[in-house]
Amino acid sequence: MKQYDAVVIGAGNGGLTAAIRLAQGGAKVLLVEKHNLPGGFATSFRRGRFEFEASLHELNDFGTPDNAGDVRVLFDELGVTDKIEWFPIPDAYRVISQAEKIDATMPFGVDAFVEKMERYVPGSRKSVRRFFDLAEEVRLAQAYSNSVGGKTDPKYMVEHYGNFVRCGSYSVNEVLRALHMPKRAREILGAYWCYLGAHLDDMSFAHYASMVNRYILRGAMSPKSRSHEISLAMVERIRELGGDVLMNTAAVSILTGDDGVRGVVLDDGTEIATRHVVANCSPHVVYGQLIENVPERIVRATNARKFSGRGFTMFLGLDKSADELGIENHNYFLYDTMDSVAQYDKMRTIEENSVQATVCLNRAQPDCSPEGTCMMYFTTLYMEDDWARIKPQAYFKAKEFVANRMIDRFEKDTGAKIRDHIEEISVATPMTYARYCGHPQGVIYGYESQYWDGLMPRLQMMGEDYKNGIRGLRFASGWSMRLSGYSSAYFAGDIAGRQTVGDIKREG
Amino acid sequence: MFTFKRQMFGFMDLLRFKKMIPKRRKALEEGSSKPLAKSYRVNETAHVLHPGYQKAKLVAIREETSDTKTFTFETERPLYFRAGQYVTLSCNVGGSFVSRPYAISSAPAAALDNRVNITVKKCGFFSGYLCDEAKEGDVFTLGDPSGDFCYDGVRDSKTVVGVAGGSGITPFYSLAQAIADGSEDCSLVLFYGARTEKDLAFKTELDALAGEKIKVVYVLSDEVCAGYEHGFVSAELIKKYVSDDFTLMACGPEAMYRFLDGEAEKLALPRRRFRKEANCVGVRDVKPADCSITVHIGFETYTVKADVRETVLTALERAGLRVPSKCRAGGCGFCHSRLVSGEFSIAGEDKRRLADAKFGYFHPCCSYPDADMEIEVPKMK
Repeated sequence: MKQYDAVVIGAGNGGLTAAIRLAQGGAKVLLVEKHNLPGGFATSFRRGRFEFEASLHELNDFGTPDNAGDVRVLFDELGVTDKIEWFPIPDAYRVISQAEKIDATMPFGVDAFVEKMERYVPGSRKSVRRFFDLAEEVRLAQAYSNSVGGKTDPKYMVEHYGNFVRCGSYSVNEVLRALHMPKRAREILGAYWCYLGAHLDDMSFAHYASMVNRYILRGAMSPKSRSHEISLAMVERIRELGGDVLMNTAAVSILTGDDGVRGVVLDDGTEIATRHVVANCSPHVVYGQLIENVPERIVRATNARKFSGRGFTMFLGLDKSADELGIENHNYFLYDTMDSVAQYDKMRTIEENSVQATVCLNRAQPDCSPEGTCMMYFTTLYMEDDWARIKPQAYFKAKEFVANRMIDRFEKDTGAKIRDHIEEISVATPMTYARYCGHPQGVIYGYESQYWDGLMPRLQMMGEDYKNGIRGLRFASGWSMRLSGYSSAYFAGDIAGRQTVGDIKREG
Repeated sequence: MFTFKRQMFGFMDLLRFKKMIPKRRKALEEGSSKPLAKSYRVNETAHVLHPGYQKAKLVAIREETSDTKTFTFETERPLYFRAGQYVTLSCNVGGSFVSRPYAISSAPAAALDNRVNITVKKCGFFSGYLCDEAKEGDVFTLGDPSGDFCYDGVRDSKTVVGVAGGSGITPFYSLAQAIADGSEDCSLVLFYGARTEKDLAFKTELDALAGEKIKVVYVLSDEVCAGYEHGFVSAELIKKYVSDDFTLMACGPEAMYRFLDGEAEKLALPRRRFRKEANCVGVRDVKPADCSITVHIGFETYTVKADVRETVLTALERAGLRVPSKCRAGGCGFCHSRLVSGEFSIAGEDKRRLADAKFGYFHPCCSYPDADMEIEVPKMK
């Protein structure tokens, strides 16, 4: 029987990172992925003369070699930074809500962001500045928490990160109001919320502030050959470190006994002996489909969680340049209302949802498609399972309905004209995400950052969650302790990988 | 640095922070004890749209013309597709594992009842096997419905001008049925080219489908016949039947595409209005020479003989290895494999993802070995 120190199930961002960490820690590691490509959402696909990015809008907190963000530091440690070519994203975002007469384009850089906000919302400077002060403390406190594996010393926390502790239990809206930030500034600052998929009454401030800070502080970068480049670089790194990687290979069960994990069965019946698994998939799938006789305590803890948004993305290859079509920016958020609670409520059904986060890649990377063309991505989320009622026969028309509405909205909100220049189109729905990544109902953001299940308690309970789970089983993905998003998933893989190295030493 | 506090003195804020753990602990304990789901509706629908490989029993064979037959398969599971898509059919023939993509000629709706038709013209190794030796009751492996040779209501004109050459009629016959039963919402003007009247498959069926939304123009190259156009499908012929904006979709042999490229230019069609279905990569015209390919699949390693005129995929299949493939034209990326060492040449345009070239990945279906190679191929799932 094949034997490994650890098996990583799923080659998404978390699994790839965890596998590198395991191999670096001296473990004999096997990474299995059921799809034929690594990366999970971090991949690309070709249509005609275009190569579309599957999911990455921009990677935050990367920075430059002299001003490295946490993600770059991690990539340096993993040994993959130099395998990838990077380009910078020009502006943070443009947010438009026609109904509420908002149209704001926000820059990267804290000073520039604060000043631009002051121009849009006079009198906002002090509170926005304080938001970034708090956000930076959140980042530092997280770095401390990571460095001690979540086992933070409460006294040390209060002494060094007092503001963080005092704001850490609140939602975004609660903190922004406590900072006396003017309403309009709160709305503009809150525009990133749909990237995290929970409205701002629910989403923990620490989570949101951490992400906004990571974007604005050091700007964002992207890989030149789409996120597929990152994924292939990581696979190459795993191999350099002696790890084994198998594509088109699903794990169909995790074998457990009185002493936790004892093996993994692959889809061709191969049994792998191992005492450690890092699952780059949802606890719902792992406990619902891969493990027999799951203890009731785990069933309850899993059922308690709430699925976050189900993804939908339209990809367009256009036969004119962004200039010719009047597409001005790289990244747009188009909302009906800036009230995230009301907006969230309108994102439950196919009929009602018309929110979109839209990207024109050529505005950041002009040569990403042939001269005289450009590429766009339009993404939205569904907060309930409305797609579950779509039968196969109605599927293509449902896709078309949403695609048309996205195009209409983009044209109406921005004045650009794109409809008559579509050379390639591809539409990914919750079914597509369910198919490629196996997530229940096509969820793309893991468990929602609910009020009680936000970033801070998840991080603080990492040890407890592991103890209450199954010995030898850890999770590394958007479903786990760092919540969703590219950098979060890389960090989750980093944490789970390093922790498993420790487990192997401790537990054998 | 200012001091953040939301409640008086910030003391309650600290306390609240401390309570986050007990609150979450309690919420986790109070979750429902009902068993976790084994599957989910969206995932189940995804499995009908993308069923993966499955067994398919050949249940009927029908002769369409002297060299063309329709094969009806009963699948294990229901599936659904978009008219114009193909499936990969595979089986063992004389110790080799052979697979080919064929456009589905039946309507999408029939696939929901586990029925899929493909129509094959006898012209090569596997089509010869199917036409001469396959019999009812034989069991094959059928792949996912795939490909983008489909009408798209967002991208395309409401009028599709189809140009079918020979067995290139199959995707259009599926499309015509889909238009007739309402699953596609466009109109189709179909120019169906064949050598003689006797070479037209589905003529009776197409004539029966013709109406307001479907018009069929038969174009015979080797025969002058009343009621048929004669020659090739030219710009002039298209203009004779269609005046408005249209999307040109063509499926047929390479020679037909070369001719149509010139005609499309005369029609001043923008690139987005002209779509061609890719043909399988064939043999290359070089001096025969043998080489050897070392293949890693999963935990196993094999060494197979290869002929530099044939693709890497063909060499693997000849040796009886079950490896994934779909389009056999280099575009879909399903056979995505890693080059460990050695050299290869790509047939036609390089359709790989940018990063693939950088990290040494290639598509065996459209790559010829130039010398001995060592490669890693994912297993056929």
